[in-house]
Amino acid sequence: MRTNLIQAYLNRTPQVQQYNSDKAVKDFDVQKELRTRTFIKPLPSNGKLVKNTIFDIPAEYFKDMKYDMRALKHSINGEANDHELGKLNDMGMKLGGLAIASYLFTRKGTPKTKIFEFIGLLSFFGAMDLWPKLFLQLPAYLLHGFDIRQNYVDNYGRKKMLYQDHQFIPWDLYSDEEINKIGDRMRVPKDIPNRRDFIQEKMRKIALQNNTMWMLTSGFATPIMSALICNALEKPVPKYQGEKLDKSADFLLSNFSQEIKKYDYSKNEAAMTKLLSDNAGKPITKQLVDEIHANLADDLNYVTAQSLRTDIDNLLPTDSFNFTKETLGNIRKVLEKNFENLDIPFTPEEIAQILPDDASIMSTFEEKGLIKTDIKDFSEHTKLIQDLLDSKIESFVAQNPDNLTARRLDFYMKNLVHSNDRNADSELLSVFKSTQATVLSDNTIETIKSISKTLNSLKAKNAVLDEFAFIKTAQAPETILANFWNDIASDEFLKTLNISPDEIKKARLDSDIAGKILRNKFEDIVVDDTRYAQVVEFLQKKLSALQGKMLSLSEFKDGESVSLYKSLVDSTFDNSAASLKAAGMINTAENLVGYDDTIKTSLKELQLSFVTDRIKGVKSSFYRLLNALDLYHRISKVEKVDILHAKMPREVKEELVEMCKQLVINGHNSDYAVKFYFKRNPELNPHFANDEARKEFYSQIETKNGRVVNKYFGKHDASELVELANDREFFDAAIKLMYDGELHPDTIAKIKDSAFLEEFMRYRKDVMNFVGGDQYKFKPNHLPNGQSFKSSSKLRFLLLGSASDELFFKLCKQKFNSMHWFKRFGTIGAGLAVVTLLPQFFFGKMKNPKASKENK
Amino acid sequence: MILPVSNFSDKKITFNANNGDEKLKTYDKDTLLKNNFSTRTRIGLDKLTKAFTVYPAKGLTGSRNSNFYEFLTMGTMPYLIGSAILMAIFNAHKPYAAADKVPAAALGRKMALGVLFYGIFKSVSKSFINIPVKMMTGIDTQLPYAKVNYQLQESPDDYDLTSIEYHKVGESVDFTRWDQLYGDPANGESLNFRYDKIAKKNGLGENLNDSDQEVKPIYKEVLVKSALARSFSSFMWAATGVALAFQKPWEDYFNVATLKVWKPKEFAHSMKIFGESFVESAKSLYKGNQESLKFLERNSGKFLIGLTLASTVLGVLNAVHITKKPSKVKEADVIDKNKESVVC
Repeated sequence: MRTNLIQAYLNRTPQVQQYNSDKAVKDFDVQKELRTRTFIKPLPSNGKLVKNTIFDIPAEYFKDMKYDMRALKHSINGEANDHELGKLNDMGMKLGGLAIASYLFTRKGTPKTKIFEFIGLLSFFGAMDLWPKLFLQLPAYLLHGFDIRQNYVDNYGRKKMLYQDHQFIPWDLYSDEEINKIGDRMRVPKDIPNRRDFIQEKMRKIALQNNTMWMLTSGFATPIMSALICNALEKPVPKYQGEKLDKSADFLLSNFSQEIKKYDYSKNEAAMTKLLSDNAGKPITKQLVDEIHANLADDLNYVTAQSLRTDIDNLLPTDSFNFTKETLGNIRKVLEKNFENLDIPFTPEEIAQILPDDASIMSTFEEKGLIKTDIKDFSEHTKLIQDLLDSKIESFVAQNPDNLTARRLDFYMKNLVHSNDRNADSELLSVFKSTQATVLSDNTIETIKSISKTLNSLKAKNAVLDEFAFIKTAQAPETILANFWNDIASDEFLKTLNISPDEIKKARLDSDIAGKILRNKFEDIVVDDTRYAQVVEFLQKKLSALQGKMLSLSEFKDGESVSLYKSLVDSTFDNSAASLKAAGMINTAENLVGYDDTIKTSLKELQLSFVTDRIKGVKSSFYRLLNALDLYHRISKVEKVDILHAKMPREVKEELVEMCKQLVINGHNSDYAVKFYFKRNPELNPHFANDEARKEFYSQIETKNGRVVNKYFGKHDASELVELANDREFFDAAIKLMYDGELHPDTIAKIKDSAFLEEFMRYRKDVMNFVGGDQYKFKPNHLPNGQSFKSSSKLRFLLLGSASDELFFKLCKQKFNSMHWFKRFGTIGAGLAVVTLLPQFFFGKMKNPKASKENK
Repeated sequence: MILPVSNFSDKKITFNANNGDEKLKTYDKDTLLKNNFSTRTRIGLDKLTKAFTVYPAKGLTGSRNSNFYEFLTMGTMPYLIGSAILMAIFNAHKPYAAADKVPAAALGRKMALGVLFYGIFKSVSKSFINIPVKMMTGIDTQLPYAKVNYQLQESPDDYDLTSIEYHKVGESVDFTRWDQLYGDPANGESLNFRYDKIAKKNGLGENLNDSDQEVKPIYKEVLVKSALARSFSSFMWAATGVALAFQKPWEDYFNVATLKVWKPKEFAHSMKIFGESFVESAKSLYKGNQESLKFLERNSGKFLIGLTLASTVLGVLNAVHITKKPSKVKEADVIDKNKESVVC
């Protein structure tokens, strides 16, 4: 039997129990304890302070994630607590942020702008977290010796901030030793009563003041800090992206045979095979030709598609028909239908009299020998029907002289035979053309299949080549070429040129001002060999880097392009054209590779010239800068300026040098076109009183601090805006001074080992020949060395590139904008940091209590 | 007794949360308030004013009376200031050259509108959860009450030791203020009348002996689930607001935008274009960039709108799907009183 414990308890014998314990506290006064109630204490805490090192961050992150997921699960089931719900709010905020970044990512066009949507998001959350850590937590720790953002984990495993609610701080998590250490750091006297309480109160106060400061400042700090982070990453991130993009582009070519497989036209080919097999042996209709053309022309450009159409029409003729007895059977039906459409009140019997019957139509056609095959022209057939109708109507009118409507039949007859629409076949003609003469033979099917294969292979290869050419050189943001431009026309360039913020502020206003500042800077640089070497070296490094990046596009050997891109373009287009030619697609093949005078307008040439032109334009802009620097240097040192020879009057030399110095910086296409409009002295008549005067007249220019000391230039009253239109020698000398002859040895020393040297020298020669030697309407006989060259405005545009003053003006404008932005928000940010940091020194100020007398 | 530390206070400044506000002094105990527009506005303004004035001052001086409610209320500040600063950052292009200023302004204004829409959509969208949940369950998760807070004296001159805080009955699921939901029999109200209504609405029956006990688990469940729904839905709506602000049709509005209400004709025209731009932008967001070859670029707007609507609908459905209803098994089915039973 089981013992009933309740009954046993009720029936127990009361007895006095004596508890003895060896562990009893000595001199324990129970009455005192009851009176003071010091025995009422909270249960010992199972919570603990979180003291993580940087190495614990990943583990903590995953632990927090796990907690968040659990919180989510609890919330879905309706069982979450307040702490878990708080976590959900943070999750929602991050999810919302991610949604914004993801949406904007899909709306932005370039890799940089896309990635910056996420960088913006991360920097915002990062700033939200970093601001209090760097400007509140860290200074407070350094000043007061404790962490105001200390986390702890409570009994239930919830991680919280210890000082979040300063009225409920679980102080028991700090040991006496820890608190005293903090107190020592805060210079709290050691001998005061209730020292721990005093230190805690000080800590509470500091934490509360910091928390309030956090709320006050984070509204300003988070967006500014986030913006500054993004600003700082604006340069390195695209650089990294550009490197990756460049590698991916080069990989497209090196892995060409695999890359083209990504452009899958198997569906097209399958559709074509089905179309052909469905129509095998059947007459070739216009609709079938349309369908075949549509399939082949998919993804082809309009011009090539047109050529293809011509070839397809030749391959699949649709303009000859067979005229059979079955065709004849439909003629009367059409005539009847057309008659009904006229809506003339005739009885069926009357209609039967007016329209020729099947038998008469048949016999007439047989009689005339018109039932035959391969007919292209049906005019005879139509005429025959018309004659038949004429005779029938004539006899009908004769038989019915009182029928007024019958008299109108002659008028309506045309509607029975012809169509009202000029461009469309009449219904009668459609009947005549109902049986195509040609059928889709097996041979034709094989030919079309082969054409389809060739074209699909061409499209795939072309797509890869296009992708490569676009990434490398397209006139779009963030291509390799665009990145290169930004890499040279950069802050680093401004720094190398030693451009001050004040100069930037002025230069951004106008390209003329920018040009003057740039010229001034060049003149300062060229006089100092070290600085000159630095600037040339800067350009040399950048141009060499570009040369490397564009090797797969513009590698030359003996003046001929031997780049991988060129060889792939050649093989792609040449092989496709050969296959198409073999299949009889002459027009399409010519469209691809050209023939005689159409080579330059072929698709292949376009594929090649697109990239070479783009690279040429960009390189020219920077070669121009290098050439300008060299010219300034030569002039400054009066070296390698053989063109300023002893028979040239000094005044002309000065005019020449001034004009060239202006032209290399400010000259646009139009300035070269007029073969140079420049202020000169129109009355240069030498009068030599003696040899000294002659010597002086032909003396060499003098320079000081990189600038020409003009003795004559601009001094003559008539020298304002006067052009000496007949002075072709002046023009010859000018173009040679700028682009001909040797470079200065200092320049050579820096670029002699560069891969671009040969190209740079060719650039100089090309500008002299094609820009200088072009025969156009302004002064057509002004030619360097009297030689004329054929050039196009496009070539001249590409050779001259961007005028240096405009390049500099745009760069300064951009720099000013970012400087202005940075200055404004950087200042606000710095001010905010000061406002946040300074009060920290006054936080937690409390009057120290007096030291206990007993302790003394 | 734990020793107070007030004897170390050296404060000379006294702050009082409700100084000068006669109306608020009418609360002498915690009082349930009606959840209507007027109350919400009054509470909103009161909290906003104090968040920028009294609470920071108390916090900065380290006042012992500064509390967690005040800290949380101050959380409005970063939102508002941050929004203004963001708008300023996006539109700091005054000294730019005209050619740079125009495109910068077009983008900057859209971004500023995005900031504005973020706040508005986030705030308004909470009602998309609260209202249906209230309609379907009878539980108002946003029911406010005024809490009378007794403070510690910080200086001998500090005689007014109360402050009023505005909380919500269900703001804490761990410490829900159930007491505020009881009626006052002294005013002729039934003690459980609010619980009765919720019980009836949720099919627990009428004239229950202890409707409060039966309703509390349901109430808590709805509080948790609607908080979850609000957390996700409101931020998704905010994201949709930002996406909406980035549409091209807004440029029409920016060309005529004015806040000069004293010029009624211009202002009315501006508002009209605002409405049109809003509609066109919504269409543009939905349709996406139809010219793009990329699937995501054509359909990202649809995805965003779809996700946002799904978060709201699923959130509401989950919130009103109550799993913690008491068992419908009758008492009689559990204990048969006719049979002798022994408890041991």
